[in-house]
Amino acid sequence: MENKAVVNRIIPFSNVDGPGNRLAIFFQGCNISCIYCHNPETINRCISCMACVSGCPSGALKTCDEGVIYDEKVCTECDRCIKTCRYNSSPRAKIYTVDELYKIIDDYKLFIRGITVSGGEPTLQAEFITELFKRVKPLGLTCFVDTNGFFDRERISGLIEAADKFMVDIKAIDNIDILCGTTMKNNIENLKYLLRLNKVYEVRSVIIQDYMDVENTLFTVASILKEYPEVIYKLIRVHTQGLRDEQKEKVKDKVPSAEYVRQLGEKIRDIGVRKVELII
Amino acid sequence: MRSKMSDILDVVTSKGLTYQQKLYNLANIAERLLDPREILEYTDEEMMYIENDMICDLNEGYAIYRPRYIVPDYYVLLSKGCKFLDLKPPTDLDELLDSLLILYNHVPSITSFPVFIGDLDKLMEPFITDEEKDYIKIKRFLNHVDKAIPDSFCHADIGPEKTKAGELILRAIIELENPTPNMTIRYDKDITPRDFALKAAEACLRVSKPSFSNNKKYYSDLGDHRIVSCYNALPHGGGAYTLPRLRLGTIVKGVRSLDELLSDRLPKVTRAMASMIDKRIRFLVEKSNFFETSFLVKEGFIKRENFSAMFGIVGLADAVNYILKLEGLNEKFGTSKRGDEIGHSILKVISDIANSHEGVYCERTNNRYLLHAQVGASLSQEDYDNTPAHRIRVGEEPILPVHIRQASPFHEYFTSGTGDLFALDQTYLNKLDAVLDIIEGAFASGARYITTYLHNTDLIRVTGYLVKKSDAFKAGQGHATLRDTDILGYGTNDRAHVFERRVRVDGK
Ligand code: SF4
Ligand code: SF4
Repeated sequence: MENKAVVNRIIPFSNVDGPGNRLAIFFQGCNISCIYCHNPETINRCISCMACVSGCPSGALKTCDEGVIYDEKVCTECDRCIKTCRYNSSPRAKIYTVDELYKIIDDYKLFIRGITVSGGEPTLQAEFITELFKRVKPLGLTCFVDTNGFFDRERISGLIEAADKFMVDIKAIDNIDILCGTTMKNNIENLKYLLRLNKVYEVRSVIIQDYMDVENTLFTVASILKEYPEVIYKLIRVHTQGLRDEQKEKVKDKVPSAEYVRQLGEKIRDIGVRKVELII
Repeated sequence: MRSKMSDILDVVTSKGLTYQQKLYNLANIAERLLDPREILEYTDEEMMYIENDMICDLNEGYAIYRPRYIVPDYYVLLSKGCKFLDLKPPTDLDELLDSLLILYNHVPSITSFPVFIGDLDKLMEPFITDEEKDYIKIKRFLNHVDKAIPDSFCHADIGPEKTKAGELILRAIIELENPTPNMTIRYDKDITPRDFALKAAEACLRVSKPSFSNNKKYYSDLGDHRIVSCYNALPHGGGAYTLPRLRLGTIVKGVRSLDELLSDRLPKVTRAMASMIDKRIRFLVEKSNFFETSFLVKEGFIKRENFSAMFGIVGLADAVNYILKLEGLNEKFGTSKRGDEIGHSILKVISDIANSHEGVYCERTNNRYLLHAQVGASLSQEDYDNTPAHRIRVGEEPILPVHIRQASPFHEYFTSGTGDLFALDQTYLNKLDAVLDIIEGAFASGARYITTYLHNTDLIRVTGYLVKKSDAFKAGQGHATLRDTDILGYGTNDRAHVFERRVRVDGK
C-alpha cells in the first residue's frame, strides 16, 4: 500500500522553523499533551463524530460515509471547528501521499532552503517522512525534524539517518507527566544521542512555573549543550494568547516574569552555552 | 493631456503647493498649452487616444526640451571634473560630495530633479579614509540630498560589489529614515557577499530601501545600465527620451470579447503610441537643441547614442478582470489561472508590436522601445480603474509564495523596469536569511526587481517611490509639503489602498 500520512497543515514560507526560509509541514498526531499546547487540534486523529459539521458558518464541512469532507475553497479559517472538537482534532487535516507532498515542495523549491516537519509529533510518522526526505534531498533542500524527543531510537533509525538536523523541544526532565501527560522519560537521552551524531540544530524549552522543574531542566540541557557550541538554545516564555479557556485558566498565573527569563538566559550563558535566544 | 489657460490661476492660487512646486507646475502647464497636432504632428487618431484616456502621456508636455530620464556617468566627474561648472576632479571625500551636490543641480529630468545621482558607494569608495569621520560626512550628504532634491524619484545605486562606503551608506539611511534618495542594490548572488546583502535586506525592511534588482538579468538584457527613478532600468550614460503609457484598464472598456481586444482595439492603440513616441523623440533630437547645448553631452556625462524610449503599460489587472467577467468567470487577476493566461496574451500583443516597430534614435537598444510596467499616477478619473503595472489589486493578493510565483513570469516583458512590493511582518527582522532566500527565489524564477518593507514603518513605498505615510496624509488634506511625490502618494493610496497592502506573516 502506498505510504500516506495525515497532515494538519502546510506553511509554504516559514521563518521560524529552522534556518532561512522553509516550507513547514505539520503532521497530525501527538504522543503527549502539554498544558500550554498552542495547537491542540494536531494531537489526535479525527474520529468522525461529526460534531463540528453543523457549526461551520460557511458550509465548508459536509458529512459522507467515510467521515467529514472539507472544502478548502469556502473555508474562512474562522477556527470554529477546532474549537468545537472535543477530541483535539481538526476536520481540515488532509491525507497526503509522499508524491503529493513532493510536488508541492518542488513548486516552492526556488524560494526555500529546506523543509521542516513538525506536528503533532512527526516521529510518529517516521516511515513516511523518511521516504519523503529521500525524495526531497536531491532538490538540494535540507530536511529538518521538529520533535519533543520522546521517540524510540531503534524504530526511527531510518529517519535519523535521512534527516539533516533535529530541533528538539525539551519540555521538562522530572515529573513530565504533570506538564505533558506522559510517562516517557527518554527525551534527554535522545537529545544526547542526536548531539553525538551532530544532528541537532536547536533545542527549545518553554518556561512555565510550577508545572515543570524549570532550573533543573534548563541547567541540565545547558551543561549538555556547552560541549556543542554550534547548537542554539532557545528559551520561550509561555504565553496565553490563543489558548483555550480551560488552558488559560491553568496557565495564566504560571507565566514567569520577563526579568526571570532574562536571568535564566544569563545563567545558561554562564554555564557555557554560546548561542542563547530568548523569546519573551 | 493638454492644459487650459485656467490651470495657470489654479496653480498660482493653490494652498497645497510650495513656491517651487508652483514654479515647476507653471512651466509644465506652458509645455502643454501648445497643440501637439501642430508642433509634433500628432494625428487626430493619436490625439483621440490621449483625450479618451486610453493613452496617458504622463503630462510630459509637447514642447519637449529635455529627455524624461537622464542617467549621467558620474565617473566622468572623478576623472575629468566638470569644465562648465568649473569643478576639478575631487581629491578627497569633501570635494567629491560637494561637487556631486553642485552637479545634481544641473541634471534635468521631467520633474527637473535628477532621477539618478550615481553609484554612490563606488564613487565614494576611493576617498574613504577614516570610517567614523567619513560616516558623518556621508550621512550629512544624504540628508542634504533629501532636503535639496524634494522628489522621491531621485535614485541612487549601490552594489553589486561590497564596499566600505556601501556599508556606511546603509548605516546612514537607516539612521536618517528619509524618503530621498530612493535606492537600489544591484544584486548578484555570485558577486555580492552574503553579509553585505543581509545588511541591505535589513535596511530594506527598516526603511524600505535599498530595493533589490536582478543584476544578471538586467545586464544580459541591457548591458551597462543603472536603476533610476522608481525602478527604471536604463542605459548608463544615457537615459530615456520619453515614457507614455497604455491604460489597459481603460482600453478594455466596451470590448465584447478578448479577441476583439487582442486583434482590433489593442493593436490600434499600441501602434498609435509607438508612432507618438517616434514624433516626440524626433522633436527632442532634431528641434529642441538639447543635445547640442547641454554641457552634460559636451563633457561626456551622457551621449545621445545611449538614449532609448520607454513603452509603458498600466492597469493589466483591471483589463484582465474585465475580460474574466465577460467570460462569465467569478475570478480575479492574481488568483486565476485563466486570468494569468489573459494577462500574458495582452502583453504578448503589446510586446510583439513594440518589438517589431523600428524606433528612432534608439541605436543603443537595437532601435527598439523598451517595455515598462509603469507604477501608476493620479492624473485622471480613469486612473482609479488602472492598477499599477501588472500588479494584483491590493486586497486581492494571494499568500506571498503564490503571489511571487504569479508575478515573476510577468517581469519578463519589462526590459526597462518593473517591480513587486511585499510588506513583511516584524519577525523577518530577526530572519534576514529568510528574506534573502525569498528574494533569491524570486530572481531564480525570473523576477527583475523586488522590494520589501515592514508593515508598521512610517516610510513606505507607494508604488515605486518612497513617501512618509504621515506626509502623504498631510498632503491629502491640502497642506503644502516638501515633496511633490507626497501628493502623488496620497492620490495613489486613495485609488489603490497601497498603505493597506497585505502583510506577510509567515507565509500568510
Ligand atoms: S475554520 Fe472550520 S468552522 Fe471555520 S469555515 Fe473553516 S471549516 Fe468551517
Ligand atoms: S474534527 Fe473533531 S469534531 Fe470534527 S468530526 Fe473529527 S473528531 Fe468530530
